[in-house]
Amino acid sequence: MTAILEVSNATRNFSGLVAVNNVSFKLNEGEILGVIGPNGAGKTTLVSLISGTLSLSRGDITFEGQSIATLSAFRRARLGIGRTFQIMHPFPGLSVLDNVAVGALFGQSGTSVGLSQAREQARTQLEFVGLGDYADQRADELSGPGRKRLELAKALAMRPKVLLCDEVMAGLNLVEIDEVIDVVRRVRERGISVLVIEHVIKAIKSLSDRIFVLNHGEKIADGTPEAVLSDPRVIEAYLGRSRRE
Amino acid sequence: MDLLIQVLINGVLLGGFYAIMALGLALVWGVLNIVNLAHGAFIMLGAYLSWYLYEYGGIDPFIGLPLNAVIMFAVGYAMQRGLLNLIVRAPMFNTLLITFGIEVVLTYLAQLVFSADFRTINPPYAGNNTTLGSVVIPDVRLFAFGAAIVLTLGMWVFLLRTKLGRAIRATAQNLVAARLYGVEPRHLYAMTFGIGIGLAGAAGALYGVTSQINPYIGASLTAKSFAISIIGGLENPLGVIVGGLALGIIESLALLYVGATFGDVATFGVLVLVLIVRPTGLLGRTA
Amino acid sequence: MKKLLPAILLALGVVILAAVPWIASDVVVQFGINSLLLAVLAQGWNIIGGYCGYPSFGNSTFFGLGCYGVAIALVQWELPFAVGLAFGVALAAAFAVLLGIPVLRLKGHYFAIATLALALAMSAIVSNVEIAGRNIGLVLPPLNNDPLFYELSLALLIAATLTVFWLTRSRFGFGLIAIRENEEGAAVMGVNTTLFKILAFTLSGVFSALAGGIYAYWITFIDPVSAFDIGLNVKMIIMAVFGGPGTILGPVLGAFLLTAVSEVLASEVTTLAGLFFGLVVVAAVVLMPRGLTDVFHQFHKAGWRYFLNNIRAHRL
Repeated sequence: MTAILEVSNATRNFSGLVAVNNVSFKLNEGEILGVIGPNGAGKTTLVSLISGTLSLSRGDITFEGQSIATLSAFRRARLGIGRTFQIMHPFPGLSVLDNVAVGALFGQSGTSVGLSQAREQARTQLEFVGLGDYADQRADELSGPGRKRLELAKALAMRPKVLLCDEVMAGLNLVEIDEVIDVVRRVRERGISVLVIEHVIKAIKSLSDRIFVLNHGEKIADGTPEAVLSDPRVIEAYLGRSRRE
Repeated sequence: MDLLIQVLINGVLLGGFYAIMALGLALVWGVLNIVNLAHGAFIMLGAYLSWYLYEYGGIDPFIGLPLNAVIMFAVGYAMQRGLLNLIVRAPMFNTLLITFGIEVVLTYLAQLVFSADFRTINPPYAGNNTTLGSVVIPDVRLFAFGAAIVLTLGMWVFLLRTKLGRAIRATAQNLVAARLYGVEPRHLYAMTFGIGIGLAGAAGALYGVTSQINPYIGASLTAKSFAISIIGGLENPLGVIVGGLALGIIESLALLYVGATFGDVATFGVLVLVLIVRPTGLLGRTA
Repeated sequence: MKKLLPAILLALGVVILAAVPWIASDVVVQFGINSLLLAVLAQGWNIIGGYCGYPSFGNSTFFGLGCYGVAIALVQWELPFAVGLAFGVALAAAFAVLLGIPVLRLKGHYFAIATLALALAMSAIVSNVEIAGRNIGLVLPPLNNDPLFYELSLALLIAATLTVFWLTRSRFGFGLIAIRENEEGAAVMGVNTTLFKILAFTLSGVFSALAGGIYAYWITFIDPVSAFDIGLNVKMIIMAVFGGPGTILGPVLGAFLLTAVSEVLASEVTTLAGLFFGLVVVAAVVLMPRGLTDVFHQFHKAGWRYFLNNIRAHRL
């Protein structure tokens, strides 16, 4: 198996506070890799470091063998890294369809796509995530679960090679979680490698090939879901803490 | 050398006025998240108020300063409750725009009512100077500096020591906090805006004794207040003193070394530079 | 047919506007030039403020640079008007790129005030430039041909409006709107936000500079105070916002309506016109923050409650 994305010794400080500390991992081609950790463990920071909305304090990130650590966010997007936002970030005043069309216009093959073509592609992606009927609504009129799907459709319209999902299942009920799990599986079937960041362990366990655990910005365990979730350090750090919460 | 000392002292004295001028803008900005583009226009109104009190009421501008501040506080309180409260949750651009509109209205109203003529407040001691060696300091500037420092320190004590002051500071972080202090948010916002405008009134009174008043002084005073808030940060009145002194000295030095017309250029150059290098303020917290 | 009707009406409107110099009095033509140039400024602001969401309070700088471009070319170098226009545009574009790079990194209040500060500093700087006639200004050779200035202004307004129309259906325009709606979201979807913002600022500046160039030649005298008048920012922003920022015809509509009303008021007392602008912006922000075009679209649904709903949405 070859790694499409490799993060080595990634570190990020915020005025003295270390949000992500010396984290290394590989995402293999066609893999679904799960990341879990309690709130404030640095999960979202990690996604932002990979997508380029935050810059690394130390370390390196390579994509298809090339370092992308110094590239700006839009260049990484065009190389084929798509992300969703935990705090949903639609373009609120645009229609659902046009939200997704932005991805088609500016993503990997963006420059060669016309507006009507982009809208056509956007419609396909909306069907794919099950939002086909909402295409003409304003994005800020969508419900919470609808916005989660919109985030996915927007990222997919960019035709990414790697998809970073930041808590796409948080706040959903069990039925909705199953539907999103199904969508993510079908995304992988398209040959897209997926990094799934999740607070809800149950969801990620059945979905991921491998998972690793972040706590206080550090990677404390990795392996198959079963192995990791029975690791005493993980139970101590993650479950122990959630029980107290 | 003497000239340099003179210029530095001028700068410090000007800086005292600048601090009190910017304090109201910084307070409203920090708590209500509204950059009040009409702040300078309210300073202009305060200056005219002081002029009227002196010309028609015979009230000395320094003695009339508290009265001036109270009247302007009432104006500010009413404006927040009656008008700004309607848009306080609107996007940033809208709040910016409405205070911009208020600035335009106040400027043209002033032109209509007071005419475009220059006014000056000339109390009997206006010509007196204090001489220290070769350095000459006009007394009014010295008094104005003293009043500005007293007011700024007073604000600091108010914000740190009184219940309302603490509620205001807490609200700067989070509106819900106002309720924790048992203060109704709308009242707290209006009090804050009122205090901001009251400070503008006091600054106007000090402006009136040291400079000429006309209806158009507002825009540039607003921009300078903004520059000072940026340099000093929004959290602490003492930061505003530092910002005010810094700008006062920079301007006085610019006057001396590059000529009168470049005074404003220096101010706005510094403003843009600080914004670019450190948008949260030189002394402000980091993001 | 339904799609064709607005286009026909619009074409008819343009024909009537173009015919004004032949059917109306000199006073009306002069008023027309003024309105058309203000509409160009509002439309120019619309590109950076309305579509890209960066509320520039310093577009008067571009206008002033356009004025001086023409004035310097005509007076100091005795070059033709067209070269002067090009020179003014070049100045404005250079200014937009050089200052846009740092200033467009700022957001919200900070961007607005930084541009305002630049505009405030500009007249002081130009007052010290020898070739620009220092604070005395420059007197241009007169050209008594108001119909020509009128048609030029109209052509410029049509060009600006067509550009905005193109924005609404181009990749570039989509990128700008994405930046306005959510800049970080746009960047992770592949929008080169820095480049797009600078291009929008430059485009906005080019139209403002062209308006300035025509204005300078028409009015035949410029000085730092009139060329870099901060009040012009007031006007263009209010016109765009009153009409509807981020729409194709809103700023033009706003400009025509407001100049007409202020012209009537100014004929009574000059100050009244300024006062009126201030009151309009205050009322507009409270009652119709998305501008006239939105009122047209929504009013039939909600009736007078439309205004109440706007207040309800934003008050505390």
